[in-house]
Amino acid sequence: MLSLLCCLGVWEATVRYFDVPVYLIPAPSLIATKLMTAYPLFLQESLHSVISIIIGFTLAVAVGIPAATLMIYSEWFRRGIYPILLTAQVLPKVALAPLFIVWFGFGLLPKVLMTFLISFFPIVIDTLTGLNSVRPESLMLIRSMGGSRWQSFWKIRLPTALPSIFGGFKVAITFAVVGTIVAEFVGSDHGLGYILVLARGNLDTVTVFAAILWLIAIGFLFYFAVEVAERIFIRGRAARRSHELGAGL
Amino acid sequence: MLDVAATGPLIDVRSISKLFQTGEETVHALRDITFGISQGEFVSLLGPSGCGKTTLMMIMVGLTSANTGEARIGGRRIDEPFTDVGIVFQTPELLDWRTAQENVLLQIEIRRLPVRNYIERARALLAQVGLEGFENKLPFELSGGMKQRVALCRALIHDPEILLMDEPFGALDALTRDQMNLDLQRIWLEKRKTAVFVTHSIDEAVFLSDRIIVMTPRPGAIAEIIKVDLPRPRTLDQKDAPEFSAFTKHIRKRFMDLGVLKDG
Repeated sequence: MLSLLCCLGVWEATVRYFDVPVYLIPAPSLIATKLMTAYPLFLQESLHSVISIIIGFTLAVAVGIPAATLMIYSEWFRRGIYPILLTAQVLPKVALAPLFIVWFGFGLLPKVLMTFLISFFPIVIDTLTGLNSVRPESLMLIRSMGGSRWQSFWKIRLPTALPSIFGGFKVAITFAVVGTIVAEFVGSDHGLGYILVLARGNLDTVTVFAAILWLIAIGFLFYFAVEVAERIFIRGRAARRSHELGAGL
Repeated sequence: MLDVAATGPLIDVRSISKLFQTGEETVHALRDITFGISQGEFVSLLGPSGCGKTTLMMIMVGLTSANTGEARIGGRRIDEPFTDVGIVFQTPELLDWRTAQENVLLQIEIRRLPVRNYIERARALLAQVGLEGFENKLPFELSGGMKQRVALCRALIHDPEILLMDEPFGALDALTRDQMNLDLQRIWLEKRKTAVFVTHSIDEAVFLSDRIIVMTPRPGAIAEIIKVDLPRPRTLDQKDAPEFSAFTKHIRKRFMDLGVLKDG
């Protein structure tokens, strides 16, 4: 926190001393004033972005986890879906954005779709890794208890996979923010991405910086939300202990 | 309880063979294994690593299939997993996010029995293996020996007909191992479960067993079946007695002959 304040101080001093034009790099004080005065606008536009991020990410979770689960249990499904999944991932999704506008217009739908596409992959891959990390002996144990596939999934596989799944969530949520902003960049009439494009067009660098700050805040907020959820869902894992015993190794 | 004919063995293994396909190669894991285990008997499968002991045990309860031959329990042919059983593996296989007691009760939950009715029994079992006061600890707070004790309780909570143990103490240090042997003997004497114990420790097999099935290196076949008629309860001191070492010497010689052990 202190280091951050120092940086801001140096920034402010440098900009003032060398008299850097505002359209290049505005002083932090100017940005702060902007944040304060234009507060309602930013709040309203972030709401548009946030809704898209939440819906897109939720969709990615709702489709990604069942998809990974199906891939575990059905060889046929795994072989069928994997090439499609990989193609969708290596393809630069930004390139799709203009198409989305042609197909779906400027509303919420293309933003959600982009967010979904970009955050889907890490969730599937990490869920897959997690579900596969179950030890065969554990499954044999369940079979010897006369347990069903359903029980082994809910009692063993899914809880075992949770740390991996949350790892995927953390990557995916940061991607989701990027996905929404990119979609807003390319074509939208609302959201922080739209504000960015608009401000840049007007050489209003102060607003650009202010919007970026809002984006950082939103990114942090979502990331911490995932971390809190992780702490609620995962208990008794030895991560803390191994950190302590490993003494930073 | 199973309906066992008064004379027949509880577990009946008949000419079982097992092949593994690894790429181009076919590995003969088990060859023509036949034996029987009576109700309430403690039998060890003793042999070198990779001789198919574990596979054989899994075939006995239908967790793996054999290529030829059949296994019967209580006269019934085993085609699917036999569930009146408790299993302890070499690794405890405890679930990280469940306390010791909850891990023991997993057995009850999966079987869809009323968990409430078994809580007292779970606590009693844990106390019996010296884990009183550890019921609510998570696995990472327990030592290796403690975890394996929890695993043993989980294998016993539903009062199964058969107890299977696959090198359960193989990963423990020598002292803990001795203690576990004593505890296991005590519990077994109380409950008299039919027990099958896989090990590669000669000492352990002699100490615990009524009979030892000595197996050859791969392909696993029966080298010899030895009846250990030492009185029970056996003590650690007895391990130094000539009656005891007669058995260990005999088995060691057998492994020498089979080429499992070689003098330097």
